[in-house]
Amino acid sequence: MGLLVFISVLLVAACGLIYELVAGTLASYLVGDSVFQFSTIIGTYLFAMGIGSALSRYVNRGLAYRFVWIELLLGIVGGFSSALLMLAFAFTQGFELILYTLVVVMGVLVGLEIPLLMRIVKDRYQFRDVIAHVLTFDYLGALGASLLFPILLVPRLGLVRSAMLFGLINAAVALWSTFLFANQLSATRGLRVACLLVLFGLGTGFAEAKRITATAEDNIYADEIIFARDTRYQHLVLTRFKDDLRLFLNSHLQFSSRDEYRYHEALVHPGLAAIPAPRRVLILGGGDGLAVREILKYPLVESITLVDLDPEMTRIFSSNPMLTRLNASSLLSPRVHVINADAFPWVASNADNFDFIVIDFPDPTNYSLGKLYTTAFYRAVARHLSAQGFMVVQSTSPMFARDSFWCIAQTLKQSGLQTFPYHVYVPSFGEWGFVLAGTHEYLPPKSLPTGLRFVSVDDLPALFQFPPDMAPLSMPANQLNSQILVRTYENDWKDISH
Amino acid sequence: MKLGRRKFLGLGSAALVGLSLKSEKKIAGSFVNDSFQMGHLLRDRTAFPGAKRIEKVPVVIVGGGIAGLSAAWRLRKRGFTDFVLLEMNQQAGGNARWGENEFTAYPWAAHYVPVPGPKAVCVRELFEDLGVLKNGQWEERYLAFSPQERLFLYGRWQEGIEPAVGLTSKDREQFQRLENVFADFRKSGAFTVPLELGLSSKSKHLDRISFSDWLRQQGFDSRLLHWYMNYACRDDYGALASDTSAWAGIHYFSSREPEEKGPLTWPEGNGWITRRLLERLGANIRTGQMVHRITQTRRGASVFVGDIEFQSEFVIFAAPTFLAPYLLDNFPRLHDFVYSPWLTANLTLDRYPDSRGAEPSWDTVFLDSSTLGYVDAMHQSLRTHVDRTVWTFYWALAEGAPAQNRQLLLEKDWAYWKEAILHDLERVHSDIRQCLSRIDVMRMGHAMIRPAVGSIFSEERRRLRHPNDRILFANSDLSGISIFEEAQYYGVEAAQKVLKKLHG
Repeated sequence: MGLLVFISVLLVAACGLIYELVAGTLASYLVGDSVFQFSTIIGTYLFAMGIGSALSRYVNRGLAYRFVWIELLLGIVGGFSSALLMLAFAFTQGFELILYTLVVVMGVLVGLEIPLLMRIVKDRYQFRDVIAHVLTFDYLGALGASLLFPILLVPRLGLVRSAMLFGLINAAVALWSTFLFANQLSATRGLRVACLLVLFGLGTGFAEAKRITATAEDNIYADEIIFARDTRYQHLVLTRFKDDLRLFLNSHLQFSSRDEYRYHEALVHPGLAAIPAPRRVLILGGGDGLAVREILKYPLVESITLVDLDPEMTRIFSSNPMLTRLNASSLLSPRVHVINADAFPWVASNADNFDFIVIDFPDPTNYSLGKLYTTAFYRAVARHLSAQGFMVVQSTSPMFARDSFWCIAQTLKQSGLQTFPYHVYVPSFGEWGFVLAGTHEYLPPKSLPTGLRFVSVDDLPALFQFPPDMAPLSMPANQLNSQILVRTYENDWKDISH
Repeated sequence: MKLGRRKFLGLGSAALVGLSLKSEKKIAGSFVNDSFQMGHLLRDRTAFPGAKRIEKVPVVIVGGGIAGLSAAWRLRKRGFTDFVLLEMNQQAGGNARWGENEFTAYPWAAHYVPVPGPKAVCVRELFEDLGVLKNGQWEERYLAFSPQERLFLYGRWQEGIEPAVGLTSKDREQFQRLENVFADFRKSGAFTVPLELGLSSKSKHLDRISFSDWLRQQGFDSRLLHWYMNYACRDDYGALASDTSAWAGIHYFSSREPEEKGPLTWPEGNGWITRRLLERLGANIRTGQMVHRITQTRRGASVFVGDIEFQSEFVIFAAPTFLAPYLLDNFPRLHDFVYSPWLTANLTLDRYPDSRGAEPSWDTVFLDSSTLGYVDAMHQSLRTHVDRTVWTFYWALAEGAPAQNRQLLLEKDWAYWKEAILHDLERVHSDIRQCLSRIDVMRMGHAMIRPAVGSIFSEERRRLRHPNDRILFANSDLSGISIFEEAQYYGVEAAQKVLKKLHG
């Protein structure tokens, strides 16, 4: 029997350590700053264990009975601690309060266990043997748990199920104790029923852990993250909520599949449909293939050259089934040539002519991107325009970044082009602006490809009207040596967010 | 688990590899472009072989820096091609030399030219030739991109090099007042580029006092203001303000209109200009040709290189003027030609180091450092994504006597300078050692002429500017300051005089 007692010491010790590790890891994952989390949680936990040990002297009668209950309680609290913490983080404001309350409760219970156990078995052994054996198995259990946790439990079971598993072990120790200490217990049947109930509850929890995690994570990240990758050039995240796919580059929203058609139809058709016989098209940026999808609606277009910096981006949008459904596998069309290169050097060194050029870069949030919105860049691009050609530039929001929008328009003008700014409403972006530019007058098209969902011949001219709150502002042109746009853009969005 | 001995050793060495990855990264590099060995042959009057061959060339240009190349440019542009340019080093360019690795070109010395004002007629003409100036517009790609300059001070960054944070009201007042004083000097028209055009004896008194003494005399005692003035003198003259003529200090600030456009620059600095000139002049240029003697003859002058005697009608001496006493017979000792020793280093970075949140700038300076900071070669790249780069690190050895510093340059080994440079950078970029793979160091004992007190209005200098014989001097040191425009001015002037004399 002695060995069986000491094995329960080992298991109990392992459980205690696992709960502590679960709390520390979860807090690090969710809140960050792992050093702080682990330090404070271990400290609080040990301190609470001390309280438990101190309280143990007030337990005078029914030691075995109380020990069983403590094991059951610990099984419930510890077993569900991980799930509880996840839900608390997802749905409440008081994560820290709940975290430390749980840590204190578990610590107190763990602190009670060993003193009680020692006193239960004290009459069977000499005092020095009790101390030696109990502590030996206690530390062995701790070692086992601390090795199992990172190597097996977290990778194989995850945090929620690991905690549940050790809750089950706690409850099992409780059940086992009713047999082990039967001679010190009176109402064993009631206790055993309670044990079975707890085991059942934890078992169910263990089986349903995936759903608990999913519920919590859905709420933590708002939408399910189906893809996240750090490429050499950017941080790429794709999320899905029901049928809505969203792409974020460096945490800036690039499109939402619910309304991207508005953006991409507006980007492509007003310009391209106005060109009598477009044969060659160039897209700078736009590695998502969505603008390409629109351009492929023109049977006269023989070749589309897409220049995007990030090979990872064009690869994903050529291969991921969810994304190829969205862009209608446009990047796989034999008419499309994908080139992964930095746009400015490519434009400066290439000599081809194009009838339509789409410039679809992320907003000018830094000096590197700012280079792609300068007179030097637009002059270099304009050299590729054929006589009938137009270029169109995604130009941020004329509503939220009004100065920036008109600065881009002015930059195109200063590059020797005639400009035709227009804007559309894209629900996930708000009011969004584009500037068409060319070396000749623009007349809105008389016909459009069939099957468009947003742009229509009748409504097109209205896009070129700007209401007073988005009306033209006098802005200087953006140049490589001034980079005024980056500063302007920063100010524009600062005004919105404060 | 049984662990075999072999396996154990394997794990052990894996652990060691893991350790060595964390330890310091190996930084390669060496001294490059050393030329003092050749200079010392001249200094020590080593015996050179006698001439075995004779080449007859009407015009010989000695020295392939900007002065010599500009003389050549002017000759060719006027349709005169019967000349040779002799350069001692393997690479022409002088202070406008450049280097190149597999991903970028970078400067070895001068790295920008201020947008030339209306008086710099020849510079404007050159830039029109090179496509830098088109229809009155400066090519945007050749203007320094924004953000241009940043200064690290008090543990943070500011944009621009003139200190703008942490100023007391006294500092602020003095900066403002000094700016007004410089504006008045600017209006006076006495401070021009090229310098000779505005030189007037009315401002001669400013050449008799050091810049720092003059500032104190005018009531300027702000520490930050003196730091900034010192920085300017070290940057342009390789000298402290206390070793610089007040006239030259004022010239730095008053010779140009305050230019918002920012200077003209290229990844390889002024090496870009050298390259373009070499493309046009290549046929006339011979590198690795050390001239060891120049003699005046009855009908011209002879230039001796190795065992060749170039018999010419005119020699344009565009090499640094301090070499003249060693090359020319009976040339008097020079007194007013003091040169500043410099060190530049090119640092190859595999990634950008931690910059405490600042956007990479073109030119980075640290307050209260004895170095001049560094310039980023990839800043003028059109790329949006740059991971590797080359930094050119500038260090004018301004404190102490030039001769002693030249000695220091010769005595200390590469590792000493590498550590000194890293020590300076580490104060701001704590992980710089992990980012670097190479540091190449170039030592220049006579990097640039120093506009010491009394040197601008020096009689010696004036005499050399107006020679009447067959040997014409053309180095920028004739002006007393070492800048691109002066080198080009004297080179072109010399070429024009030669053309005039040749064609009567």
